Amino acid sequence: MAETPLSTTRRGLLAGAAALAAAPGLALAATEQTTSAGQRHVTDAPIADTTNSRDMVSPHGAHQAGIVTPRPANGIVAAFHVLANDAADLEALFRRLTERIVFLTHGGPVPDADPKLPPPDSGILGPVVPPDALTITVGLGSSLFEDRPWLAALKPRVLQRMVKFHNDALIADLCHGDLMLQFCANTQDTCVHALRDVVKNLPGQMVLKWAQAGNVPVLPQRPGAAPESARNLLGFRDGSANPDSADEELMRRLVWVGPESDEPDWATGGSYAAVRIIRNLVERWDRTPLGEQERIMGRMKMSGAPLDQPDATEAQVPDFATDPDGTRTPLDAHIRLANPRTPATEANLILRRPFNYVNGVLKNGQLDQGLLFIAWQADLDRGFITVQKRLDKEPLEEYIRPVGGGYFFALPGFADGDYVGSTLIAAISPTSQTTSSQPVSSDPAPDPGTKP
Amino acid sequence: MRLMTFAAAGALLAAQAAHAQEATLDLVEPISEYKIYVSENVDTLVKNTTEFVAAVKAGDVEKAKSLFAPTRLNYEAIEPIAELFSDLDVSIDSRADDYEKAEADPAFPGFHRIEYGLWEKNSTEGLDPVADKLLADVQDLQGRIESLTFPPEVVVGGAAVLMEEVAATKISGEEDRYSHTDLWDFRGNFDGAQKIVELMRPLVIDRDPDFIKTVDENFATIDTILSKYQSGEGYVTYDNLTEADRVVLAAAVNTLAEDLSTLRGKLGLD
Ligand code: HEM
Repeated sequence: MAETPLSTTRRGLLAGAAALAAAPGLALAATEQTTSAGQRHVTDAPIADTTNSRDMVSPHGAHQAGIVTPRPANGIVAAFHVLANDAADLEALFRRLTERIVFLTHGGPVPDADPKLPPPDSGILGPVVPPDALTITVGLGSSLFEDRPWLAALKPRVLQRMVKFHNDALIADLCHGDLMLQFCANTQDTCVHALRDVVKNLPGQMVLKWAQAGNVPVLPQRPGAAPESARNLLGFRDGSANPDSADEELMRRLVWVGPESDEPDWATGGSYAAVRIIRNLVERWDRTPLGEQERIMGRMKMSGAPLDQPDATEAQVPDFATDPDGTRTPLDAHIRLANPRTPATEANLILRRPFNYVNGVLKNGQLDQGLLFIAWQADLDRGFITVQKRLDKEPLEEYIRPVGGGYFFALPGFADGDYVGSTLIAAISPTSQTTSSQPVSSDPAPDPGTKP
Repeated sequence: MRLMTFAAAGALLAAQAAHAQEATLDLVEPISEYKIYVSENVDTLVKNTTEFVAAVKAGDVEKAKSLFAPTRLNYEAIEPIAELFSDLDVSIDSRADDYEKAEADPAFPGFHRIEYGLWEKNSTEGLDPVADKLLADVQDLQGRIESLTFPPEVVVGGAAVLMEEVAATKISGEEDRYSHTDLWDFRGNFDGAQKIVELMRPLVIDRDPDFIKTVDENFATIDTILSKYQSGEGYVTYDNLTEADRVVLAAAVNTLAEDLSTLRGKLGLD
């Protein structure tokens, strides 16, 4: 099932049957992942009954999966400390992680358990792990490089430690990390299973620091209707103006680090993630007049149409040029600050792929809900950081409070037989490392995984 | 490591079943040795608690503070056995979170109630009855341990239990939250676990040398880290632990918890 590493769109949307041929108990009907049916934007709302536990997104390719892959309904971001004293340690970690990623994303039977031993798999998905459109995306934090002299010189050019913005109330225990894993899948159980698997299988190599789960609402099927962006917990459609992730040329420019990016060679094909845990002060928001909510966002709440064309659809592009005084769309509306739509701000476009989170109740008795904001870009400074600086002091700040997150560099993609991070390892010691020396392969059958 | 084939796994299972019978016999000696280890620890615990309680009752806050951590050490080392008597464990070692009104709850007993008074209030006021009860409890524990037949699965499983203790409540520094003497408790838990591994080593080493090797390596890592924080007979307070060292400790503890969770099974015990 080797794929050409060059096809970036829809790569990943494999029929799941082949890899599951060895999995008893699963029907083998090949399902083309439904996202190709009409989901163009990464942030389109998932549609009920069009996804399937057999959906498979290949982990292999020129880029990692989970970035321009249409977003499924559920996700978890988990950040870890890394224990690696030298290149060999880091390589061992990447290889082990790759083994788990390859198994978990392909699915397959879990190893038989000896009743006298702890079972090798948590069992929460039953005896056969379904792929369930799972993606696991690996990103590295600046501390991984900075704390290790043998790695420091290879740090991606603009990878940096997240620093406080105007409205931030960062909680140290929810910030940063040497390594970040983003899990996305049709069901949260699949994400949870994958996270538990990784924690169990790499105990001496990574120590969990923080994790945040989220989801987006799944819409009922409405034949013929245009796809909608999923709503966030402020009740607005979120993602309407996202760049088109199916446009390879656009993604090459906005999302992927390329040869022209002035980055270390090993980083080509990677991407920067800005992850932010942003609390929504939902009680207060729900006590705010509708018109004010819409002026704060710059869009109609129900339809998502831009305020200057209130009867249009969310797909309509707002026209700020003919509204220089902000009569129709206030100058400090979220969408206007985030993207002023001038030629100069073209360079700052980012690909947002967030999830909503619901964590229970805070000490003050208010709901702890918010946005697990995840944005991808080829250049963190030009992308998220510039956009966030423009948003500093926006009226929306009264209703949101960023409390955690971090910046990470998603490693370049890897081919079948290769392992995630191999280009970085090769750059540390160009002679000691070839990808063919000890291949981690998913052929011929997926590795059902086991503990050593 | 690659998955072993199912056939190989099946063969291994059969082999393990055969081992089970002889393993139980092989365990007789290590278990009686372990009983001696536990008895010695509980004797020391009673002796140290007597002094600790005397200091508390004499109102000598400084002396009581200096005896707190060393006294707990022996309790922590034998926790898997001590926990078998859950009434005593609650009375000796429960934390404020276990009570509805936390520290203010009159039912909050034991070491941590005294710790709270000594460090947070800098006083022994009102601690006399708590101290008397603590001494009575550890003496009770001593008597009960003497007449206990040690269940093999508890002894062997104890190594993992101790690591779970560390992973769940020690790494976060919430066990000794007033005195920050957690590193002493670490020491006790590790000593207790290492003792069990020592005693079982001859039964495992031939069959699974790699297992013993990784376990030894992780204990060595822990020793190295802890020795950095040694001060006199004991350890500096937990807040001195650097984030980097905490992470290394956590990884070693998590790995030991995973590995030692297989020890019972390796010896054919349920
Ligand atoms: C809880 C916090 C946030 C909420 C509730 C929120 C909500 C929204 C909504 C409802 C839209 C309009 C629909 C759309 O185009 O997606 C939007 C657009 C946008 N947001 Fe946010 N957002 C939040 C945080 C952020 C942050 C932190 C950034 C980046 C720093 C950001 C950047 C953008 C961008 C670039 C757009 C598209 C603007 C356009 O191209 O028209 N947002 N946001």
